[in-house]
Amino acid sequence: MPSKKKTSSAKILRVLLYLAIIVMVLVTLYPYFVMFTSALKSRAEIYAKQGTLLPIEWQWSNYVEIWKLAPLGRYFVNSIVVAGGATVIAILCGIPAAYALSRMKFKGKKFFLGLVIVSQMFAPVVLLVGIYKIMSMFHLTDTLIALVFVNAAFNQAFAIWLLRGTFQSISNEMEQAATIDGCNQVQAMIRILIPVAAPGIVTALIFVFINAWNEYTVALTLISSDILKPLTVGITVFNGYNMIEWQYLFASSLFATIPVVILFICIEKHLVGGLTSGGVKG
Amino acid sequence: MKNRKVTRSLTPYLWLLPSILLMTVFILFPIFEVFRTSVSKVSKAGIIKGFAGLDNFSKVVGSATFGMVLKNTLVWTIVVVGLSTLIGFVLALLLNNKFPGRKAARAVVVFPWATSLIIQAGVWKFIIDGDFGTLNTLLMKLGIISAPMNWTPSPAAYFAWECWVGIFVTIPFVTFCVLAGLQSIDEAFYESATVDGAGFWQKLFHITLPLVRSSLTVSTVLNIIYVFNSFPIIWTITKGDPANRTDTLVTYLYKQAFYKGRTGEAAAISVIGFLILCVCASIYMVISLRKEEQDA
Amino acid sequence: MNKKVMAMIAASAMAASFSMVGSAEDIEINVIAAEYGQNTADWWKTFQEDFNNDNPGIKLNAEVVSWNDIYTVVNTRIQGNNAPDVLNIDVFADYQADDLLLPAKDYVSEETYAKMYPSFLAQSEVDGEVWAVPDLASARAMYYNKDILEAAGVDVPTTWDELRAACEAIKEYDDTIYPWGIDMTTDEGQAAFAYYTWNNGGGFVDENGEWTLNSAANVEALEFAIGLVNDGLTNSDPANDTRYDLQDMFGTGQVAMVIAPNSLPTYIADGGHEVNFGVASIPCNNGESVSAGVMDRFMCFDNGYSDEKLEAIKTFFDYFYDDDRYSDWVLMEGFLPATEAGGEAVAAADESMAAWVDIVGSSKFYPTAKAEWADVKQGVIEAEQRALLGEDVQTVLDELQEDIAG
Repeated sequence: MPSKKKTSSAKILRVLLYLAIIVMVLVTLYPYFVMFTSALKSRAEIYAKQGTLLPIEWQWSNYVEIWKLAPLGRYFVNSIVVAGGATVIAILCGIPAAYALSRMKFKGKKFFLGLVIVSQMFAPVVLLVGIYKIMSMFHLTDTLIALVFVNAAFNQAFAIWLLRGTFQSISNEMEQAATIDGCNQVQAMIRILIPVAAPGIVTALIFVFINAWNEYTVALTLISSDILKPLTVGITVFNGYNMIEWQYLFASSLFATIPVVILFICIEKHLVGGLTSGGVKG
Repeated sequence: MKNRKVTRSLTPYLWLLPSILLMTVFILFPIFEVFRTSVSKVSKAGIIKGFAGLDNFSKVVGSATFGMVLKNTLVWTIVVVGLSTLIGFVLALLLNNKFPGRKAARAVVVFPWATSLIIQAGVWKFIIDGDFGTLNTLLMKLGIISAPMNWTPSPAAYFAWECWVGIFVTIPFVTFCVLAGLQSIDEAFYESATVDGAGFWQKLFHITLPLVRSSLTVSTVLNIIYVFNSFPIIWTITKGDPANRTDTLVTYLYKQAFYKGRTGEAAAISVIGFLILCVCASIYMVISLRKEEQDA
Repeated sequence: MNKKVMAMIAASAMAASFSMVGSAEDIEINVIAAEYGQNTADWWKTFQEDFNNDNPGIKLNAEVVSWNDIYTVVNTRIQGNNAPDVLNIDVFADYQADDLLLPAKDYVSEETYAKMYPSFLAQSEVDGEVWAVPDLASARAMYYNKDILEAAGVDVPTTWDELRAACEAIKEYDDTIYPWGIDMTTDEGQAAFAYYTWNNGGGFVDENGEWTLNSAANVEALEFAIGLVNDGLTNSDPANDTRYDLQDMFGTGQVAMVIAPNSLPTYIADGGHEVNFGVASIPCNNGESVSAGVMDRFMCFDNGYSDEKLEAIKTFFDYFYDDDRYSDWVLMEGFLPATEAGGEAVAAADESMAAWVDIVGSSKFYPTAKAEWADVKQGVIEAEQRALLGEDVQTVLDELQEDIAG
C-alpha cells in the first residue's frame, strides 16, 4: 500500500507536470495567436502606436481576399503532390537501405553512413546552381517531379538514420523464426519488422512530409510557371517591392499550416500504438 | 554455388541502391559543383572563368569579418542545438505520461514545425519589435510593464532572440525523435525497475537514456548540421545586420553570392563550413558508433 | 497498396512534366520581371494574354518574381545556362561585364528607342553603348506630418540646421514621437548615404566618375546623420527599421518626418492610415536640394537569337512601350515614366504627378553603370552600420574607399 506521503508528492508532481505542459502550450500558441489576430487587422492597426490585442474591426475579408489575390487552391494541390510524392519516395528508398544497414554485414557500411551525413552538410542555398544544372540536363526544370526528387533526396539522411535506429532497437528473433518458416528476407521485413517499427516509420514520414511541405529555396528557383508553384513560394506574392502585406501573408500561412496539423493528428495514434509487446531488445 | 555467393555478397548493395542513386544525382553532384566553384575564378554574374587555386579561400579567411562570423556560427549552433535538445527531451518525457488532453498537447507541439521557417521568423520579428511589437502590447495589457520596452537594444540582443527562435522551431523535431524512441520501450521494464526500487533518476539514466540514445544521436547529429546551415531565421530577422554582427556563415555567404556577386568566395565559405561540420560530425559519430558496437 | 501509390505518383509526375508549351513553330520569349507591388503579377498576366492574342506566332512567357528573391532566381538561371531572354531588374553592369547582354539598339526598334528620356538612357551606358532601357523611375522627397509640426511649433525644415532644430522641438513637444526617420538597413541603406552626401555636395563619385567615398563632404554628411541618431532624434533602430517600417510608422504618427518615394501617398492610403501630411524638398546643407532618383531597366540576354526571334523581341518592346499601355504600366503602382509620351500622359492623368515628373528629370541617380556598384552599395551600408555601432566615420569610409578604389 502506498503511504500517504507518497501520494501527496505524486500529486505535486502531477500538478507540476500540468503546469509545465500548460506553459509550453501557451508559449507555442502565442505566435499563432499573433498571426491569427494580425491577419484580421488593417495595416494601420498593425503598426498603431497603441497596439491592440484583438482587432478593433475584425476584417474577416482578409481571409477571403487571399483566395482572390492568388490561386491558393492550385498552390495547395502542388504542395500536396510535392510533399506527398517526396515522402513516399524517401521512405520507399529509405526502408531497404535502413534494413540493410541494421540487419546485414557488408563492407563500406560506415562509409555509406558517413556519406549519408555528408549529403546534408551543405545548405540548400549553396546547392541551388548544381541542382538547377542537373534538372536542366534532364529537362525537368519547371516541373513538380523535380521538386519531388530533390525533397526526397534532401530527406534521405534523416529517414535512413532514424529507421536504422528503430530497426536496431528491435530484436531480429522473430524475423529469424519467420525465415525458418519459409519466408524470404523481403517478406520477413514487410510482415514482421515493419509493423513493429511503425512508430519510427511514422516519425520519419511526418518529418519528410513537413520538410518537403516547407521547402522554399529550391522551389523558388526551379519553378517558373505560376500554376506549378507550391504554397511556400506562391504566397510570396504578398511580399512585394512596395510593401509586405503582413495580414495576407499571415492569413495564407495559417492556411498552409492546417494540413500538416491535420495529417499529424490523423497519424499520431500510430506513433503511440504501433508497438507489439516483446519485440524490444533488452 | 559460386554465383550464389556473389549474389549474396551483392545483396546489401542492392538494398542500398535506390537511396544511393537518389542522393548521388540530386545532392552529390551539386556538392561537386560547389567544390569546383570554390577553386574557380568566377565573374560577378556567376560565370566560371578559369582555375583560381586557393585564391577564394585566402580572400575569405583574410577578411576581418570572417572570424566574427565564424564565432557567431559556433555560438548559434551550440546554443540552439544544446538548449533545444535539453528542452525537447524533457518535453518528450512529459508528453510520454498519460494525462487527459495528451493528444491535443502533442498536436500543439508540432505547430512550430508545421509552419515554414520564414513565416515563423517573420512572426517573431513582429512580436519583439520595440515600436509596434505585440509582446509589448501583451505585457502592458497584463500589467507586467508600464511602458514599451526595447527588446533589441544591441546586436547581441538580436542574436539572443534569433537563438530563441531557433530553439523554438527545433524543439518539436527533438521531441518527436525522442518520443518515437520512448514508444519502443516496453512498459514492463519500468514496472520491473519500480518493483526493484529504482527511483526516477535511476530509471531515467539506466532505462530511458540508453534506449532513446540512438534516436537522440540521430537528432543531435542532424540538428548540428541543420542548425549550422540554417538560413531563414537570421535572414528574416536581421539579415546579419548590423555590420555582420549577427551573421552566420550561411547568411554571410548568401550576401557574398547574391548581393556582392562573389560566387567563388561564397563557395569557398561553404566548403570551409563543410570541413568544420565534417570534423564535428565524425568525432560525434565515431564515439557513438563505437559505443553502439560495444553494446551490441 | 504500394503499387497504387506508385501509380499515383507516376501519374502526377507525368501531369507535372507537361508544361504548357505552344505549337512548335511559335517563337518563345521568356521574360523575368520584378514584382513592384500587389498589382504587378496581374498586370503581366493580362499583358501576356493580350500580347499572345495580338501577335500570332510569338509566345510570351512572363514570370514575375518577388524583389526579395529576384537576384537568387536570375543568377541561378544564368549559372545554369538558362538566362531569360528579357529581364526587368534594377542593375545591369555585372551582366554587361560578362558580355551576356545585347546592346539596346539590337533589340529595341528605333521608334521605341526615340521615345525614352536621353538622360535615362545615359544611365545604362558603358563604353559608349547603351545596354538597357528604362522601364520606370521613382524620385524621393521629404514627407512631414503637418499636425505634429504645427503642434511643436516648427516650420518645414529646408537646411540641416533647421532640420536638427525642428527635430529637437518635436522631441521637446512629445518624446514618444521619433522626429526623423532613417533607414540604414541592408534593404536600402545606400539611399540614406545618397540623401545626406548629395545634399552636402558630396556623393559616390566625382565629376569624372571616380569613386570618392571618403571625401570630406561625405564624412561630414554621415556624421550629421549618425549624430541625429545618437541624440535620440530618430527611430531607435536605423540598422533594422526598413523604409516600409518607417512609412507605416509615419502613417501612424510615430515618425514625424521621413524621406520616401513619390508612391508614399498610395502606400499610406492602401494601409488604411489617416495622416495629415505635406511634401517638401529633402533638407540640404549647401543651398541646393538634390532629390534621389531610382530607375529600373529592361535588358536582353544574348542567347544566340535568330533574326526572327530578334524581330519578335522588338515586337515585344514596341508593344510594351505603346503609349497607352505604357502609361497604364507606370500608373499601376504609382511610379514615374521613362518616356516623354508617358510623362505627358501621367501628368494629364494626375496633376500632383506633374511636379514629380519634373523632379525625377533633375534627380541624381546611383552610379549603377559602374562595375564596382554592387560592392559600393553593400560597402556604404556596412560603413553606416559600423558608424551606428560607434566606430569613427572617417575611418570606416577610408577603409571602404581603400577596399573599392585602392
